[in-house]
Amino acid sequence: MALLLDIATTAALLFIVSAGLFVIFGVLKIINFAHAAWLTIGAYTTVVATKMGLSPWLSLPLAVLVGGLLGAVTEIAIVRPLYRRSLDAILATWGLGVVIVQVITLTFGRDMQMPPALITGTVDVLGLPYSSYRLFLLVAAVIMALAFVLVLERTRLGLNAQAVIMNETLARALGINTSRVRLVTFMLGSAIAALAGVLLTPLSSVDPTMGISWLIGAFMLVMVSGTSVTALALACLCFGAAQVLVSTWISPILGSVTVAVLCAVMLRLHPKGFARG
Amino acid sequence: MADRVHSSPKRGRLLTRHGTGLALLGLLTLALVLLGPLFLDRFTQNVLTRSMIYAMMAITVDLLWGYTGILTFGQSAFFGAGAYATALILTHVGGGAQNFALALVLSVILPMALAALVGWLSFYHKSTPLYASVISLVVPIVLSQAIFAGGSFTGSSSGLVGYPVMKLGAANYFRLAGVALILFAGLAWIIVRSDAGRVLIAIRDNPLRAAYLGIRTQRVQIILMTVLGGVAGLCGFLYANAGRIVAPEIAGFGFGTQMIVWTALGGRASIFGPALGAIGIDYLGAQLSGSMPYVWQLIIGVLFVVMILFMPRGLAGLLPRRQRTAAAPTLATLPDRPQESSKDALLSVTGLRKAYGNFVVLDGIELEVRPGELISVVGPNGAGKTTFLRCLSDGTETIQGTITLAGQNIAGRPPEDVVALGIGRKFQVASVFESMTVAECLRLARATHERPTLWNRASGIHLPSAALDILALTGLDKKLAEPVSGLSHGMRQSLELAMVVAMLPRLILLDEPTAGLTKAERTLIGEVLKRLTQELGYAAILIEHDLDFVKEISQRIVVLHQGRLVMDGPVEEVVNSELVRSIYSGMAHD
Repeated sequence: MALLLDIATTAALLFIVSAGLFVIFGVLKIINFAHAAWLTIGAYTTVVATKMGLSPWLSLPLAVLVGGLLGAVTEIAIVRPLYRRSLDAILATWGLGVVIVQVITLTFGRDMQMPPALITGTVDVLGLPYSSYRLFLLVAAVIMALAFVLVLERTRLGLNAQAVIMNETLARALGINTSRVRLVTFMLGSAIAALAGVLLTPLSSVDPTMGISWLIGAFMLVMVSGTSVTALALACLCFGAAQVLVSTWISPILGSVTVAVLCAVMLRLHPKGFARG
Repeated sequence: MADRVHSSPKRGRLLTRHGTGLALLGLLTLALVLLGPLFLDRFTQNVLTRSMIYAMMAITVDLLWGYTGILTFGQSAFFGAGAYATALILTHVGGGAQNFALALVLSVILPMALAALVGWLSFYHKSTPLYASVISLVVPIVLSQAIFAGGSFTGSSSGLVGYPVMKLGAANYFRLAGVALILFAGLAWIIVRSDAGRVLIAIRDNPLRAAYLGIRTQRVQIILMTVLGGVAGLCGFLYANAGRIVAPEIAGFGFGTQMIVWTALGGRASIFGPALGAIGIDYLGAQLSGSMPYVWQLIIGVLFVVMILFMPRGLAGLLPRRQRTAAAPTLATLPDRPQESSKDALLSVTGLRKAYGNFVVLDGIELEVRPGELISVVGPNGAGKTTFLRCLSDGTETIQGTITLAGQNIAGRPPEDVVALGIGRKFQVASVFESMTVAECLRLARATHERPTLWNRASGIHLPSAALDILALTGLDKKLAEPVSGLSHGMRQSLELAMVVAMLPRLILLDEPTAGLTKAERTLIGEVLKRLTQELGYAAILIEHDLDFVKEISQRIVVLHQGRLVMDGPVEEVVNSELVRSIYSGMAHD
């Protein structure tokens, strides 16, 4: 039972961490290497907010704001000029990540920070005490997934984004302002990543390089999922389960690379991943 | 084979004037490296030894990324594998000459095996550059986690230290690393300027065209990665001996990305730029990072982003680009493919159906093409003509029905294999190699027939007379040494056609070769096609909108309409048919 809960909450966590990257990859077709830095920034937003005496809950909207703003600046200054050199765009976002991590290190030092958690304690699930925070993450992931679907299906932005995903040239020809769609998407993706950073704080240590350890798993999950939310959820569930099982029975260190290895092998053998069956 | 030439063309001299200057520079550097320990203190010697080993790693990254377009973060994994293989042998088996030999061999072989595996994972038909990059990230992370998980065997997070090393002394390690660097840089410099080096650049610039010239791009990429994995392992061997310590970080992704930074800042695709970038940044870093570690990395990070944005060629881009002084190569005639006597069908298509989900693009196509035939495919936009050509030339497209070429079913064969069976495809938008000269493009078209050498450049190109005709008629033969980027639209179309013909295919596929050409150019291409098919026995399938042009040159016309082959017959019959009139006047849309 505890194992099942672990699997469900790990999948939720993977989903939350990958979501921001997924949004950006779907529309802009680039892997945002600054993703790790966005996660870190989100976590440090909590550190700053709680130090100023604000409720840790307030750091959620704050992180969205900070992430969105930084996302806008990044898109305009770095991603847009490299539109036609996609591998260079990846490199530039990675360089940006390095810069951000160094700035955080210079400001806050290398030490681990311990912001207060959003929710503490345990609840009983069928007679088994289980971390209530992890359960909260499960709820958060479900809400996030539903929000994705709603935005994609029910809003103009979502429709425009879908058009850009399918055929950007055609979308532009039809009068959709594709560069605005790209900008908004990048802002959204960054904001979600920063939000994920906040949600990570009680589980992961908060230090300048915290984002890196989450990065590869997120990359690979997004690669196998393509542009489908369902595929992403499914991938998180399958590979999250594999990670929990390997960590429990073999070695936690190897568990941390399970997702990446399985995804890599899967993509080689079945290049479409989860995207189409 | 008829197209094999017996007399090898005259090879260009290796030491051109430029080459002599470089050889002198190499000797000067060699002297500096050998005498250096007399002037440098021990600390500087140690740091520079490490920097020079790193410089070799930067060159491997440059060959992969700068020249071949494989953005890799994973060279550190092979370096780490070599270093750990060495340290593990020396720690657990002990020192002694035979153990050093064993460590040396293993430090090359293990990384090569790992690199071959990574290559197989990364490069396959239709794999994307992004996928290869992400795989290259996974490898060092997995390896360093494995080292962490290795407990006392691998020394886990504290690494291995205190194992016996080759007792050469700091000065001689400095010399050894320096000599190795000079040799490797020289070797790399020669290779990237050779004909084989052009193949790497072709794969970087236009992998699709390279594959359709019959070049096995994935195989080249895997071999390159394997060889450079071995070089990285050798660097690891040197590092483990000279540094007397190995730690998991050297196999990790952080180190792998540092190599990218050296390469980008020094200047990708310049060999010397990345080497100097590595030495400069590592040496300065060692001097400065003690006093201001984070600021130093911050500066490097900012520089890196700025360089990528505004100076993609790195610091090497500040140097004026060397004028191409290479003399135009000489052209030599090769016998054309002998007329095929057999009247059997060269290509036969039966029951071809191609659909994307519910959307059927082609259905029930039956077609036979014999040697010497020129068949024109006409039909309105969206009739499936280009898709049809793609299905004929790429056996990995999922289709129903069978396509046989020269008696072989092409199902499952990627383009380079179909090309080997005798197909040559000319794309709708001229697909050539933008950064090369006309002669280099033509030589690449011959790459599968005359193996490009690793050491120098052939001074002559052997082309079949039909290809020479195209060059002569269009005046391209006067522009052999000129870059392709300066050619007109018509010239590019002609160049691509000449490249396709140079492969001596049996069947040429042409997708609107006359679109956007002037009347004169069009007539010229028409003449060439007539000669190729009627006189020389090539078969050709031509997609064309211009019915007048089609009437001029072809014997048979095939009409595609809404994915179906609705007519197949002699020119006059088809052109004057009611059906074609109505399709072209837009009335046949049910």
